[in-house]
Amino acid sequence: MEMRTWCWTMRDINIGDGAPRLHGRMRYLAVIAGAGFLCVWPACGANLRDEGIAAFRDGRYSVALEKLKSATKDNANDPDARVFLGLTQAALNECKPAMPALTVGFHLPSPDLSRMAGLAAAKCEQSAGNETKAFETLQELERRFPNDADVLYALAKFHMRAFNEATFAMFQRTPASYRVHQLSAEIFEVQARYDEAAAEYRRAIALNPKAPGLHYDLGRALLMQSHGAEALESARGEFEAERQINPEDAATEFQLGQIAQVQGKRDDAALHFQRSLKLSPDFPEALVALAKLDLQAKRYSDAIPALHHAIALQPSNEAAHYALMMAYRDSGQMEKARAEQQTLDRLQRPPEGEFTNFLKKLGEKPPEQ
Amino acid sequence: MRIAVVFASLFAAAWVLATPKPSALDFRDIAAQSGLTGRNVYGGLKHKDYILETTGNGAAIFDYDGDGRSDIFIGNGSTLDASQSGVHPHLQLYRNEGKGRFTDVAVKAGLTAEGWAQGACVGDYDNDGHPDLLVTYFGHNILYRNRGDGTFEDVTEKAHLPVTGTRYGSGCTFLDYDRDGYLDLFVSNYVDLDLANTPRPGKGGYCEWKGIPVMCGPRGLPLAHNILYHNNGNGTFTDVSEKSGILKPGGRYSLGAVTADFDNDGWPDLYVACDMTPSLLFHNLHNGTFEERGVEAGVAYNFDGQLQAGMGVAVADYDGDGRLDIAKTNFSGDLSSLFHNDDGKFFTDVSREAGLGVHQFLGWGAAFIDVDDDGWPDLIEANGHVYPEVEGKQLGDTYYQPTLLYQNLGNGKFRDITESAGTGFRTPRPSRGLAIGDLDGDGRPEIVLVNMNSTPTLLHNFAPPSGHSLNVSLTGTKSNRSAIGALVTVTAGGRKRVSSLLGGSSFYSQNSFTLHFGVGPCTRVDQLEVRWPNGLAQSWTNVGTDRTVRAVEGRDKLEEIPFENAGQQ
Repeated sequence: MEMRTWCWTMRDINIGDGAPRLHGRMRYLAVIAGAGFLCVWPACGANLRDEGIAAFRDGRYSVALEKLKSATKDNANDPDARVFLGLTQAALNECKPAMPALTVGFHLPSPDLSRMAGLAAAKCEQSAGNETKAFETLQELERRFPNDADVLYALAKFHMRAFNEATFAMFQRTPASYRVHQLSAEIFEVQARYDEAAAEYRRAIALNPKAPGLHYDLGRALLMQSHGAEALESARGEFEAERQINPEDAATEFQLGQIAQVQGKRDDAALHFQRSLKLSPDFPEALVALAKLDLQAKRYSDAIPALHHAIALQPSNEAAHYALMMAYRDSGQMEKARAEQQTLDRLQRPPEGEFTNFLKKLGEKPPEQ
Repeated sequence: MRIAVVFASLFAAAWVLATPKPSALDFRDIAAQSGLTGRNVYGGLKHKDYILETTGNGAAIFDYDGDGRSDIFIGNGSTLDASQSGVHPHLQLYRNEGKGRFTDVAVKAGLTAEGWAQGACVGDYDNDGHPDLLVTYFGHNILYRNRGDGTFEDVTEKAHLPVTGTRYGSGCTFLDYDRDGYLDLFVSNYVDLDLANTPRPGKGGYCEWKGIPVMCGPRGLPLAHNILYHNNGNGTFTDVSEKSGILKPGGRYSLGAVTADFDNDGWPDLYVACDMTPSLLFHNLHNGTFEERGVEAGVAYNFDGQLQAGMGVAVADYDGDGRLDIAKTNFSGDLSSLFHNDDGKFFTDVSREAGLGVHQFLGWGAAFIDVDDDGWPDLIEANGHVYPEVEGKQLGDTYYQPTLLYQNLGNGKFRDITESAGTGFRTPRPSRGLAIGDLDGDGRPEIVLVNMNSTPTLLHNFAPPSGHSLNVSLTGTKSNRSAIGALVTVTAGGRKRVSSLLGGSSFYSQNSFTLHFGVGPCTRVDQLEVRWPNGLAQSWTNVGTDRTVRAVEGRDKLEEIPFENAGQQ
């Protein structure tokens, strides 16, 4: 049999006009398969196999199934035909017969074939209810293809499904639990519906007033909802309640410090920040907040080391660099202030991205006269 | 341990310690009944494809025809399909006919240019006694010389200002930076925008907001450079941007611009609010050059060193320490900035402590205005989102946003009194430009808002005056005729109130040149002091209140004009 090497162009692998007619899941597999099938495929010249692969590529799964079955009968050792038969069966939701071929394909040396087989195998495992095995396959895929969008998408879908199933189960089985309200509140928060989030947190607290974290989350939601004096005071009450339940939580002390600072109670604010740092000495935001109070009081020898500590913990913490620049400025150390300014400028430079690259050719033009 | 950065980034709350005074204000929108009915046209209504469609227009309040009544200029824009649609909106010049009536005389007055107008600033650049008008454009700016007969002449080319090329002119201000008695001109530019090479919504890294495709920029788009034109004293200008140091800081996304003497050395400085780039403070070095020291001074970033989307700017001595402070409006989700002038050299961002974080709307025009005549400048802020696409999306933002009014409590803090200040403040709008000035002669300033793709708003306070006041109008002789840069100090009841005659300010706008001083219960002003732009100091004692006094540089006598219909509609 004559051996030849060929490759498909991007246009060849585009599943084209036939794609929209496909069922979503099948199309997904076809897209994945097509996208990975680039210029690496050694062909045996077997017409049936090639025709079967072409049919798979076009989404004509019944034709692909027939051709690839015949090809594997003719040559049971043709790994390409076997794996594509498995992919075709997976696309037709015939996961059980597909799995042996997909398992073999996943461990083949060809990265593209392995990737396609792995993705199809993970979907089959998940649809068969074997979530553990599916997760293992996806983790292995992510290890081998860390920057592959299809792999990351499949992983994200897996987690999303797991989240949805767990949430559904909780709402079904424990509808009266405080956790239902807590989760509802968190979902509302994500949707920026802070009124509703606060109401749900309050319901959760009514059911379990001693649960750690609920008062903190309610305080945060109140601050997100409004920044008025009333909201501030309500939030402060919640953080105080949280502190009763959770006395060693540095974040709660930090929030209380921030509120005291805005209320003009600098001494109280400093006490809260100090407590926060006692509980968690490497809390960068608290280090910066306390240093800024020291700065206002012209205690540069206290502020500057604390800011260096914060920067050591978080080298790209812009607030820390800015406060350090101000500390140097106010203490007359202008050279050091300028060095911090340069660091800040570097940190604030917009990230390079496709848009920036697109526009780079335009450059930064001087003004026209 | 939970990371508590959410507080640091989103917390910007206010806390008012002082006992709040009751608000006795009743601002209502009287635009329609006053004849301010011209519709603003500015880009798409429901969608904006390009950043050009988002910035909108400014307003200017000035007495263009010298009849003693302040008139209103409002810019106008265009649409991307203007050539097909046949809609060609024109500029608006509302002549004050008295008795609360205005008539649009723009075309008759010669303000006939079309296109994407942006901001406006006023100054008598040729010292002929008739205030002239500069309108910035996406395209080229237009200088309208006031002929003094109720009409204007486009002298852009004659004045040697550019008439070719495309720039995105934004804020502007006249100033006499070299104190030669002639007003020079500063123009900020927003983006070096090339529509043909700008991606469409959703097609790039900076073309989405909260998950929805929106117009791209300004980040990712080329930066622009600001321009300073020197007035040659013969009706022409020369671009001195490079030799004066204006170009030295590099490109920015510059918007609102204002000139004021921040270090009290008698020479005008410049502050420019910049979008997603550090804002600029140009310190006047007295030799025709400026030194940019925004970062060093503490007015380039917020209190955490974060870049802000600066839009508009207001200047006043809000805390009565004799130094001019800066307020700046910013993007939604951020609080407005208040930079306290510590010593003329350094500023401190006191926004949170002062109570400006109660709302975090997308701010544009801003002005200090003493609405209750207690001698403490209050703060007004026009708002409206840039993305109409957010409306109805439940993203925590709305396209139409209320105009905010913060009452100055006299202790360094402000209280949000929007809800109790009258219906005019509660109405959400897509506002941009904002200008203040007394339009009905009752002494108290009205507020003009430019609303994108809508008609303007004119806010008038129907409540009776809660205190006495004095208005001061200045005419320079050796100094520039408009007296831009003059510093006025009014002492009454043992307290000094300092105000400056500002060039530019707000967002793309020009406030009236008549300064308003609330003096509370005082019926006499102990002392009125004027430091003219060229340095001459004059003072008057025992000046009556509830009137406008007109001071001419070098003359001893004040002209006094009592307020009309104080407290009446």
